[in-house]
Amino acid sequence: MIDPGRAGARHAERLIGRLLIGITYLAVLLLLVGVALLIGAGVSPLAGGPRLDVGRLVADLLALQPTGFLWLGLLAVIAAPITRVTIAMLAYARDGDWLMVGVSAGILVVIAIAVVSAVVATV
Amino acid sequence: MIVGLWMLGGGAAAGVFGSLLGLGGGILIVPLLTLGFGLPLREAVGVSLVCVIMTSSAAAGVYLERHVANLRLGMTLELFTAIGALVGGSIAFLVDERILSLLFALLLAYVAFSMFRAPVGNASPSVDLATVDDEPGVEDPSPPTVLDRLAGDGYEVRNLGRGLVGATGAGVASSLLGIGGGIIKVPLMHLSMGVPLRVATATSNLMIGITGAASAVIYLVHGGIDPYVAGPTAIGVFVGATAGSRLAHRIGLRYLRLLFVVVLSYTAIQMLIRAL
Repeated sequence: MIDPGRAGARHAERLIGRLLIGITYLAVLLLLVGVALLIGAGVSPLAGGPRLDVGRLVADLLALQPTGFLWLGLLAVIAAPITRVTIAMLAYARDGDWLMVGVSAGILVVIAIAVVSAVVATV
Repeated sequence: MIVGLWMLGGGAAAGVFGSLLGLGGGILIVPLLTLGFGLPLREAVGVSLVCVIMTSSAAAGVYLERHVANLRLGMTLELFTAIGALVGGSIAFLVDERILSLLFALLLAYVAFSMFRAPVGNASPSVDLATVDDEPGVEDPSPPTVLDRLAGDGYEVRNLGRGLVGATGAGVASSLLGIGGGIIKVPLMHLSMGVPLRVATATSNLMIGITGAASAVIYLVHGGIDPYVAGPTAIGVFVGATAGSRLAHRIGLRYLRLLFVVVLSYTAIQMLIRAL
């Protein structure tokens, strides 16, 4: 018989697995639309795409601009593992596994430092 | 339009071969984009990171659903690969591209040599999970140590300190060169930490996502990811890796591996020339 804690962990793993697969397929779909729009507009991928401008993302999506779909797809790709760690942290907190909560929080802090340090370096 | 289709096709080829030969796509994508499409190395690394995160997430999702990956061990090591990625990603924008090209050439040469020496067989890990010990025994009254808590079904984890140092190194290499780092993490977990090969492969795959994400956010902020290149390449790699995983059991790998040794050696020389 599997103990309840173990069963909870396996359930969380299954949930996280499905989440990763779901986000990946969503990202593939967004990138497919973006690439189709890019090819349809006759733009060469070597033309150099614009940098990420979060403020323009919704407007680009509504205007069916390839940039909007490509950036949203790429952000979904990068967000998938970060979401996985966040969900795992919540599952570990629910089970009272504070060591793994600390490890998960540490990973998220390192990623936050990566973003902040890169922003500071580019200013 | 033609260039976009070539990128899709090139990404698919990298995905298929990477999957068939048990390599991540990164080691193939960077040379494809630099030597094939003339992209600067740093930009190719940024795109490659996105591709390895994508294939890692899809594969890791399946591994987690089937309970093959060791999530606790993976996350513990991940903390250190992320720190390594933070360091490597920060260095990457300060280092001369020729040095990065030289490092990449050395990596390709190492992989080609390892592949040449490896026994011929299926690239997929064939070592089965150790059997679960279901025998009732005397309850151990001592509280579980950290290593006990990282153990999986039927195996124990050892040499955690060595694993953490190696994981940090894998993170640095991943963010500098745009690779998943499985060539470091799998032997580290399997040979040094006592993790069964199949679990080590699955756990390494899981870890690539966070390692890549920690690096990718740095490249993203620095403008090192071009969406026009990343889009078609990532789709190609995803489709290729999916197809490769289904073809793996039907294709004899002996000649494919030899062909690949030649391709990797040639690419290493081209990257070396680029570095000089």
